[in-house]
Amino acid sequence: MANSNLPRRIIKETQRLLSEPAPGISASPSEDNMRYFNVMILGPTQSPYEGGVFKLELFLPEEYPMAAPKVRFLTKIYHPNIDKLGRICLDILKDKWSPALQIRTVLLSIQALLSAPNPDDPLSENIAKHWKSNEAEAVETAKEWTRLYASGA
Amino acid sequence: MANKISDELITTVQSIVGQDYSKMDVLRALHMANNDATAAINIIFDTPSFKKSEPPKTPKVPSRTATVTTQDATRNATVKTQAAVSSSMTNNVSCSVDDEPCTSRSVEREVDKGNEVVNNLTGSSKWWFVGCCQVAGLSTCKGSKIKPGDQLNFTFPPEKRLSGPSPGKFGSGGRGRQPTACSEIVRFSTSASGEIGRIPNEWSRCLLPLVRDKKIQIQGFCKSAPDNLGLMDTINLSISVYINSSMLQKSHQTSVKVPTTSVDETSIQPLPTLFRLLGLIPFKKAEFTPSDLYTRKRKLEDVKDTSGVPSSLLNATKIKKSSSNGSTDEPEETISDNDLDNIVGVANGSELEEMEPSRTLLCDLRPYQKQALHFMMNLEKGPCVDDAATTLHPCWDAYHLADKRKVTVYVNSFSGEATVEFPSTLQMARGGILADAMGLGKTIMTISLLLAHTEKGGSLDKDKSEINGSDQSQSSSSPKKASKFSGFDKFKKQKQSLIGGGNLIICPMTLIGQWKAEIESHSEPGTLSIYVHYGQSRPKDAKILAQSDVVLTTYGVVSSEYSSENAEERGGLYSVRWFRVVLDEAHTIKSSKSQISMAAATLVADRRWCLTGTPIQNNLEDIFSLLRFLRIEPWGSWTWWNKLIQKPFEDGDERGLTLVQNILKPIMLRRTKLTTDKEGKPILVLPPANIQVTYCHQTESEKDFYDSLFKKSKVKFDQFVQQGRVLHNYASILELLLRLRQCCDHPFLVMSRGDTQEFSDLDKLAKRFLNKDSTTQETLPSKAYIQEVVQELKKGEHVECPICLEAFEDAVLTPCAHRLCRECLLSSWKSHVSGLCPVCRKTVSKQELITAPTESRFRVDVEKNWVESSKVSALLKDLEGFRSTGSKSIVFSQWTAFLDLLQIPFLKNNISFVRLDGTLNQQQREKVIKQFSEESNIMVLLMSLKAGGVGINLTAASNAFVMDPWWNPAVEEQAVMRIHRIGQTKSVSIKRFIVKGTVEERMEAVQARKQRLISGALTDQEVRSARIEELKMLFT
Repeated sequence: MANSNLPRRIIKETQRLLSEPAPGISASPSEDNMRYFNVMILGPTQSPYEGGVFKLELFLPEEYPMAAPKVRFLTKIYHPNIDKLGRICLDILKDKWSPALQIRTVLLSIQALLSAPNPDDPLSENIAKHWKSNEAEAVETAKEWTRLYASGA
Repeated sequence: MANKISDELITTVQSIVGQDYSKMDVLRALHMANNDATAAINIIFDTPSFKKSEPPKTPKVPSRTATVTTQDATRNATVKTQAAVSSSMTNNVSCSVDDEPCTSRSVEREVDKGNEVVNNLTGSSKWWFVGCCQVAGLSTCKGSKIKPGDQLNFTFPPEKRLSGPSPGKFGSGGRGRQPTACSEIVRFSTSASGEIGRIPNEWSRCLLPLVRDKKIQIQGFCKSAPDNLGLMDTINLSISVYINSSMLQKSHQTSVKVPTTSVDETSIQPLPTLFRLLGLIPFKKAEFTPSDLYTRKRKLEDVKDTSGVPSSLLNATKIKKSSSNGSTDEPEETISDNDLDNIVGVANGSELEEMEPSRTLLCDLRPYQKQALHFMMNLEKGPCVDDAATTLHPCWDAYHLADKRKVTVYVNSFSGEATVEFPSTLQMARGGILADAMGLGKTIMTISLLLAHTEKGGSLDKDKSEINGSDQSQSSSSPKKASKFSGFDKFKKQKQSLIGGGNLIICPMTLIGQWKAEIESHSEPGTLSIYVHYGQSRPKDAKILAQSDVVLTTYGVVSSEYSSENAEERGGLYSVRWFRVVLDEAHTIKSSKSQISMAAATLVADRRWCLTGTPIQNNLEDIFSLLRFLRIEPWGSWTWWNKLIQKPFEDGDERGLTLVQNILKPIMLRRTKLTTDKEGKPILVLPPANIQVTYCHQTESEKDFYDSLFKKSKVKFDQFVQQGRVLHNYASILELLLRLRQCCDHPFLVMSRGDTQEFSDLDKLAKRFLNKDSTTQETLPSKAYIQEVVQELKKGEHVECPICLEAFEDAVLTPCAHRLCRECLLSSWKSHVSGLCPVCRKTVSKQELITAPTESRFRVDVEKNWVESSKVSALLKDLEGFRSTGSKSIVFSQWTAFLDLLQIPFLKNNISFVRLDGTLNQQQREKVIKQFSEESNIMVLLMSLKAGGVGINLTAASNAFVMDPWWNPAVEEQAVMRIHRIGQTKSVSIKRFIVKGTVEERMEAVQARKQRLISGALTDQEVRSARIEELKMLFT
């Protein structure tokens, strides 16, 4: 298996994620590749995503922690910073990555992004436009999508 | 048989190899391949010159014609090919089938063309006619026709290549069939009859590389030949050689050499050989040629019995005399010095002339120092500049070419380089090695030289251009000699724009202050302007550097300016042509592959000096680097050094060593303290030095501690031995030994973190942060946070590094008060000087990082639980003895942690001290030394062995204590000699502490063995086993 030379840091992070998970977040490594994590994030309360269970995949590249993990939504989600492929527009996953960040902090940030969509820095132009022009309607769509795609896990 | 080659087969092959190959070629190949199409294709592709060398203007038969003549061609070709095969020729056969119907005319055409080429060559500005010579060729074909006057075509075998144009898709079938004719045979043919014969091997050998590199071209015609050619008949040829003139221009100077690999491997150069074969006689002969070396080498054999080095040196049977009875008189008489003297020789003090120093030198020179001045002045003078510029460098031959244009070409008989530019002796070494033993005042001798003769380079430039208005003067910046380092090349471009400068002195950082102080105090004010080129903000402007008479800088600065990315914009030290470059502690550049060694050798200077008390530190190769820097030709070329010195020396051939001695003799001055003057008195009388080894006995508790540590270590070591992995675990073994050795100093050390700390006082640290905080509030974390960090640090709570999530290893503290492992932090940065704090993204530079103190350097509260070790007790007793006399002492240890520990009893016993170790910067060091020298109440200078190693003058002290033995006795000795040198007025006592019955005692034995390694007496294999032996010795 590819896990024999897994860096200590990844092992440690994994252990901690499993033993003391962050509220509303679950992340467990895949059995055949310890660098690949199946992630579930609960839609934050008081957000259009409340009640939804969102699946994500997270992969730790070879250079981790000197390079950011690669994270993608698997569950369809209506969010100005997430495109239809599930890619996430989040600075700490790109140029603002710091090795002092961890899987946990990354997932918490994504959770926070669900609470506070940022249509000014959009990844999905249409959704962002929608959000800006008619926020109430956009939020309704988001809720609708959550019901449609993110309910029964 | 011929019929067997079916048209179909031919078409098949041709469809694959393409129309580039004529039907004839294909037929030939098929024949060679016994009609196997695949093999034939492979032959064609694997034989780069398979295609016959037809002149392009002999037209390819238009395809229509080709089809018409196919049958004829087939028939004719078969006949021809048979002939070729019968003469064991497999390729390069010039069977010009197409020409057959009109042979005579085509020959004419060929001749015409030949003449045309000749005319082209003779007339062209690119090709210069070198000479013409009669050569006896051998025929390789029977029955071919050649008559006097026939123009010859020469076929050069292609270079052996691993990756030919052989397309892999045809399988590997052809590999094995690769014609063996790809050797070094140069064949000649005529257009009319095809291959005739070959030229002699000695010609081929030197022609081949040159022709391949397009450096020369040859032409030839037949002078006479037997009417009926048989095999191996002699054919007289006339061969003319043309040289590509562009290869001789400056920009290509080095490219005239064969590619570097072969330069390194061979010492036979094709060009000089070719000139010799051509019968070209240099009108000015090199004074110094490779053959001289060989003959000299032979001579050496005869004389070795009388003047050679004692063979004992090579066998190195000497082992340091046991000094168990406690005192030996002269530690500078250690074997290392003796060996060194034997290798490099010591000047006879009485032979040298003296020279009065300039009146601007404000101190008196001792007679031997005046001798040094005379020696140095003389070496610098060489032939005077005027003469030098017009005198041929002794390694170069000068030839007149046969060309009508009266071209003169200079060829270096060692490197094979050729140039049209006059290689004058200006490129030669002016300078040498001042290798006087430590303490004889090399610095002051050098200063006297600076005062006696210094110009700012500019004037010299002017002189030269006056002497020879021609372009010759441009050659003053010496061309880089053959070197095994391609890195040198990058400096070529910028030679032209160098500014003439003064003296450049390169020394270790510790010595900059001292050089400055000594120059200032010994020279009349105003005679020498000094500029210290050091630090981050040093200017890159060459004009500033060139303004001062003396520029002081460090090896580090030179090395970093050398390695700067933009070779062209480098500026700084490399944009100045120095009047003189002096390397102090020149053994710093001893490893020739190191960057600093190359950096030094690349500096452009008219005069070069190496100052070192130890020209050889570890092995003979150390000298090579110095010679390369000094431009002592041809020894700056690794090829020659290796061939004639290094190899013989390593093989135990004494001639290597003897040759080194002969090389060094004229350029090196070495005296020791024992050297005598004319009257037979020692040249330098220093107060006596009393050197003792104090053997301490451990107390019982100490011994118990040591023994248990020893047992643990030995178990580990024995494991390594059993596994046969001693050398693989060298580092861990050294670590084991380190602990044991530290334990001999003080058991507390074993419980310490072995590193140095800048901020061991936590409150100070806190203060530093808080102070900063008050000035630049917004950028720094809150007081509360800093307090917390400090608290954490104080309590030694186990917080983990945010990057590796492990307990800190060598933690550093950022200015924003975040703690990380040093390595984690640095590896998160893209640049190696600065980056973002991973925690708060504030920009942090490497310099701002603080080594974070852990709970304490020691795991026990050393102050509260202070216990003296036996060594410490012995030291304290001695120091108390000096209290009344007020004589000052230096205490050396290699561990700063031990210096930390020593401070405790010093404070307790009211022994005032200052401390000098690697953590101090230059200014702080100077301050400490000044304080120690001037303040009478300070009794002790605590000094780390490494920090105090070189150059520093500490004659204020008259006692030195070496607390722990170091592997290399020379290092110890260097440190101790800081006090036993010129300026010392009191008698000197030097004490080394050794704990009985421990690893320290056995280290003494290893030190003795080490001497043999230093003297280079052991082979690699021996060194390996010796290292294991050594280690085993330590664990007995």
